[in-house]
Amino acid sequence: MIASPLMLMTVILPLASLFLAIRPQWQTIYRYSLPLLPLPAILAGLMAELHHWLELPWLLIGGLWGLDELRQTFLLLTSVLWATAGIFAVGYLETRKLRPFCLFWALTLTGNLGLIISVDLASFYSFFALMTFAAYGLVVHERTDEANRAGRVYLAMAVAGEMALLTGLLMAAHQAGSTLLTELPGAIAESDRSGMIIALLVSGFGVKAGLPFLHFWLPLAHPVAPTPASAVLSGAMIKAGLLGWLVTLPFGELSLPAWSNTLVVLGAIGALGGAALGLKQVRPKTVLAYSSISQMGLITLMVGAAMANMEQAATLFSVIALYALHHGLAKGCLFLSTAVELPTQRRFRWTLWLLIALPGFSLAGLPFTSGAAAKLAMKAELKLEQYDFAVAEYLPLIMTAGAVATMLLIWRFIWTLHQSARRGHNHPFKWLGWVAATVCSLVGFWFLPGARSEAGHSWFVLTPGELWSLCWPIVVATAIAAVGWFTRGRNGSDLG
Amino acid sequence: MTLWLMAGLLFTPLAWAVLTLLAGFRRGRVVTWLGIAIQVLVSLALWAVVVRDGGFQYPLGGWQAPLGIELRVDGLAVTFVLLTALVAAASGLHAGFYLDPDKQWHRYFWPLFWFLWAGLNVVWLGNDLFNLYVGLELISLSAVGLVALGGQSEALRAALRYLMAALLGSLAYLLGVALFYGEFGSLSLSGIASALGQDSSGDGTGFALVLMLFGLALKTALFPMHRWLPPAHGIARSPVSALLSALVVKGSFYIAARLWLELGAPLGSLALAQLLGLLGGMAVFWGGWQALRQRKLKQVVAYSSVAQIGYLFLLFPLTWNTTEAAALQAQQAMTLQVISHALAKAAMFLSAGNLIMSVGSNRVNALAGVSHFLPFSLFSFGLAGVSLMGLPPTGGFAAKWLFLQASLATGQWWWLVVLLGGGLLSAAYVFRVYRASFVEDSNIDHFFHPARRLEIIPMILALLSLGLGLMAEPVLSVMALTFANGEGT
Amino acid sequence: MTTGALLPVFALMTSLTAAVIIFTLPEQKHQLRTAVNLIAAVLKLLLVGLMIWGVFQGREYGISFPMIPGVEFVLRADALAMLFAGLSASWWLLTTVYAVGYLEDSPNRSRFFGFFSLCVASTMGIALAGNLFTFFLFYEMLTLSTYPLVVHRGTQQALRAGRTYIIYTLTGGAVLLFGIAMLHGFSGDLPFRPGGHFADMSPDLQAPLTLVFVILIAGLGVKAAIVPLHGWLPTAMVAPAPVSALLHAVAVVKAGAFGIVRVVFEIYGLETANALGLLWGLAAIAAFTIIYGSARALSQSDLKRRLAFSTVSQVSYIILGLCLAGPVGVAGGLVHLVHQGVMKITLFFCAGNYAETLGIHRIDELDGAGRRMPGTSVAFTLAAFGMIGTPPLAGFITKWTMGTGALAAGMDWVIAVLVISSLLNAAYFLPVLNRIWFREQKNAWPEERQWGRFETSAWLLWPPLITAGFLVLAGLLASASFSPLGWVELIVAREVDL
Repeated sequence: MIASPLMLMTVILPLASLFLAIRPQWQTIYRYSLPLLPLPAILAGLMAELHHWLELPWLLIGGLWGLDELRQTFLLLTSVLWATAGIFAVGYLETRKLRPFCLFWALTLTGNLGLIISVDLASFYSFFALMTFAAYGLVVHERTDEANRAGRVYLAMAVAGEMALLTGLLMAAHQAGSTLLTELPGAIAESDRSGMIIALLVSGFGVKAGLPFLHFWLPLAHPVAPTPASAVLSGAMIKAGLLGWLVTLPFGELSLPAWSNTLVVLGAIGALGGAALGLKQVRPKTVLAYSSISQMGLITLMVGAAMANMEQAATLFSVIALYALHHGLAKGCLFLSTAVELPTQRRFRWTLWLLIALPGFSLAGLPFTSGAAAKLAMKAELKLEQYDFAVAEYLPLIMTAGAVATMLLIWRFIWTLHQSARRGHNHPFKWLGWVAATVCSLVGFWFLPGARSEAGHSWFVLTPGELWSLCWPIVVATAIAAVGWFTRGRNGSDLG
Repeated sequence: MTLWLMAGLLFTPLAWAVLTLLAGFRRGRVVTWLGIAIQVLVSLALWAVVVRDGGFQYPLGGWQAPLGIELRVDGLAVTFVLLTALVAAASGLHAGFYLDPDKQWHRYFWPLFWFLWAGLNVVWLGNDLFNLYVGLELISLSAVGLVALGGQSEALRAALRYLMAALLGSLAYLLGVALFYGEFGSLSLSGIASALGQDSSGDGTGFALVLMLFGLALKTALFPMHRWLPPAHGIARSPVSALLSALVVKGSFYIAARLWLELGAPLGSLALAQLLGLLGGMAVFWGGWQALRQRKLKQVVAYSSVAQIGYLFLLFPLTWNTTEAAALQAQQAMTLQVISHALAKAAMFLSAGNLIMSVGSNRVNALAGVSHFLPFSLFSFGLAGVSLMGLPPTGGFAAKWLFLQASLATGQWWWLVVLLGGGLLSAAYVFRVYRASFVEDSNIDHFFHPARRLEIIPMILALLSLGLGLMAEPVLSVMALTFANGEGT
Repeated sequence: MTTGALLPVFALMTSLTAAVIIFTLPEQKHQLRTAVNLIAAVLKLLLVGLMIWGVFQGREYGISFPMIPGVEFVLRADALAMLFAGLSASWWLLTTVYAVGYLEDSPNRSRFFGFFSLCVASTMGIALAGNLFTFFLFYEMLTLSTYPLVVHRGTQQALRAGRTYIIYTLTGGAVLLFGIAMLHGFSGDLPFRPGGHFADMSPDLQAPLTLVFVILIAGLGVKAAIVPLHGWLPTAMVAPAPVSALLHAVAVVKAGAFGIVRVVFEIYGLETANALGLLWGLAAIAAFTIIYGSARALSQSDLKRRLAFSTVSQVSYIILGLCLAGPVGVAGGLVHLVHQGVMKITLFFCAGNYAETLGIHRIDELDGAGRRMPGTSVAFTLAAFGMIGTPPLAGFITKWTMGTGALAAGMDWVIAVLVISSLLNAAYFLPVLNRIWFREQKNAWPEERQWGRFETSAWLLWPPLITAGFLVLAGLLASASFSPLGWVELIVAREVDL
């Protein structure tokens, strides 16, 4: 029975914090309260009963909030990441423009958490829009020309995406005769215009999820935002688009091989193309942004596969959630590490580099990290024999290439970070935030419900085959990186 | 009772005319107040009698029709009597304060005023052609005199012009009367009507009707015979203009309308009816257009009268050979138009007088910034303007609505153009005045505040004209007595 | 005469009486005038509240008496009337408060508030009118009483705007009168009646009915600013901000739209109008207006002009909603009557605040205004997002309901119109918001006035904050029975009965 108050507080607490923005004198309080804002959400994720629905009939066109396994994983990922990024932000922020930052932070957070716990369409769409528009404030926070331009592109694409969503949701809801998200997939499956609805929803959410050709804003906007904001943008908010796909598209209702083909192709383009473009970047945050596109491409592969196979959809969902959880936490750490100043002592520096690199290697699937768990689960689910759509046979190839590309990109990131990193003193909260994020990514991951749900298989115990399959892409990529590094000279200006 | 009322109505004005002729302006004013009180009370009483008992024929002095003078006291007549009492009282009271008592010639205002009133009552109540003529002459001559009171040579010129037109009109009318008398040996309107009903001869009398209508139209300033009106109404002092525009032109029109309603069916023709309507329509547009172009405030109002009179002439085509219902609507429309125009135009002239008095100039553009100082008079002017535009809920609107309905019912849709276009045109000239008064970038500091009582009188008239639309039904129900009785006898 | 009959009359009389009292008050009696204004506004709100409660309980209030032979003067409070009456009564109170603050120390306040009250009385009359004739009466009264407000400043520009306004509206009035007279000619006095009067008309009436419909819509369309009859609206933005709020949100534009609602619903009847094929044409015009207004708004550099073109676009939502001819679509259109009002009134209040406090008129002067005037800017932002149709604000509810209605009616192209319009709305509102919040102030404000520790006078600040709060609540609580949407659904259930 704790679920209802926790869910309400999840939304109300960050919204209520807006009052702290009224008086300039309160901004210090506001700054220190940032890490606390997602606390109810974390508690909800850990303690709330699943499938407990909170009915809010007066809200919009009828509200219904609640959690299921999928939402629980996303809620935990989102709230934990926001909390650690919030801690980091306390140390990161300057006094100048503190109030606007806190304000947009809280608004974006509200949207991001709210959309996860929404089961009805109107609340979901409302929170989604709130997140989209409030994030603009975070993107343009620095007010540089670059930030303004990024903001403009972001906003234009976001609005277009919103409109696609509105249309798609309208048509789906009309077909369903209901405004509950749970009713939509079935209705879309039955609709005689399902193709159009799916296209609208895929592209509408695709803007947020960095789907190739809808991604243009992403490498512009994610890097220019203040670092904690970049972390949540790339780690948490990008997953909102994914969640949108998962809860609206007709998975498990009918198999749509055409859509599978499309999504897999798009995923492949994202996974490999994103990485290829990322290799040409010189700024660490831009590299990470392209890495996000690449990773989301890999996830898109699974989404595509789930479209094709009705029976596999449910299990694929948990793998997608697992992958999202892993990527979100790791990407959060990586973004935060771009703003960490290196200690002056050499010994500490090496430790630090190791800790920075570990979440990166985890992305590439280093054994005994969250990435290994996610990759293995993904491989297990994307076995050839389960699928019969046209491009299914290329799935393993794409995954392998993706793993190599990921590792290359990580090396590129480390190199660019090494080039740009400064030495100096870090605010204690910055340390705390970064350490917390890293701990969550490397250790905390294993204790989160999303990871636990695959308990039938212990991810720490690896067969040699698995070990090999995980390691060889890393080794290959490292070798390529080393060769590239030596042939291009040590200036590293153009590794790709 | 009735005897006293009739006597009061017809002879008090004559008596007061003589009384005030003997007094100066100031004393005449006091005497006039008393007279006004009597006249208003008498008119009200007569109205009440008719409302209670219905209309009746009243032989003056007890002699019956062909020999004596017979008065027709019906709903329409008493309504107009009451209207006259109202407007004349308002103008008289206003004039008492508005006119400069120190100007020698202003003392003649009172006797002329009373002669005018007497003439009007004769016209409303008269039932034989010669009586009507006498009333008409009384009206015309006193009106000319009142115009001449303006004093300047310009006023005299205008008065002279007016006099010529009035005389020509009278002449034409008189000729017609003579022709009728020669044909039927009777001057009583109802007598002629019943004679015509019995034998359908009387070929020459069609010409007589045309002659009389021409004379009356000239006196009513129907386009294109309107040229005398704007100078006369424009140059006269404001209370005089109010009387002239509100009542005097209605006198001659009233006779024309009665002639038409009683004799039009046998003697008129489609062409004549349409011609009169057409001239009316042209008057609406020409008057409106001219009003829009005038520089002087009172000329605007005067040309507006030309336009408004035009509407009245729609009565002719809409009652000739049409269904009874449509004809009734047209008659109701005409009466409402007479009343509302009388009230609105009187209000407009009186408030225009106030405005001119306060800014010391009669140019429209001199009104800049007046809305700042004199919202009350401007407001009266505006309200009256609303009625002229024919916007609801004014009497002007009610009249327009009924005309519209009658036009649609008789299939004469072309009058819609006149009614709607004329409304827009009048809006254009009224708003031109408003607009001038709202201009803020003037820096007049010389500004005269007229007395409150001068401002209240036009306001009351304007409000009455505004309320007429809401009260049209009860007002018309009194007048409905007319037609039942009038056509029956 | 029971209280039931008198309630509408009283509601009408409150502002009429206020007008009369104010006209006779001397210019310098500022406080007395304000008191009269506020008392009348509150009283009216209470009366309307009372009527709304009564109508909700199923009662009907009304009064009628013959006016001109064949024509009755009818006041009637039904659910639809109360929608508009409630809207105008509540926003009148706020606009009055705002106007008191806005016109502080300016000349001719007596005149202004007098006509202001008259204007609201007319609006109330339009809401309560029980037949076309009574509607027309107040409709024209509205025209006349708004003219002095439009030209209030007395500048050449204002006078020109006033002229344009009066030419458009009076001509529209004449056309409307023509239509009413024609309708009256062949069917007599027509009270507004749910379902209309022509449910089973004879076939030979079809042609004249179609003609009359076109004429009526052309007449009403002037006030509703349907393209190409919209020319007066952007010009009239020179009026003081409270007047603009009144023109755009409460009275004039709404009167036109409300008239169209009455004609379609209660004279012709939705089904008849649809059967005659009239709604298609109307829908096409409305759709064009929606797009055209938004597109024109894009290129305006004056804030109020941009808002004015936005009104042109938004009001046609109401009309488009009607044309969807189904309970949901109609509800979407009707609820926009309230939603557009609250959003646009907020925007104009805010535009007025910028103008009055900082002297800002053009959009490019707004840089950094959010920091200087946060309260106003928050209200402006909420209203702008509402206009775009962002959930959970009021505009979203409109768009959603209309979209669902369009799908139900099989008019899918309406969705495209909604989407294009939303995109255009975003394109002309978001840059403004960007300037307000995310640009640094470049130059000194054109004409800054200091108000102590607050950003502006409390009279000016509270009204937009309240309306902004309302537009959030109207969206958030849309499913509650007391929300605008709830009330509209009640109307649709009672009136349209499809």
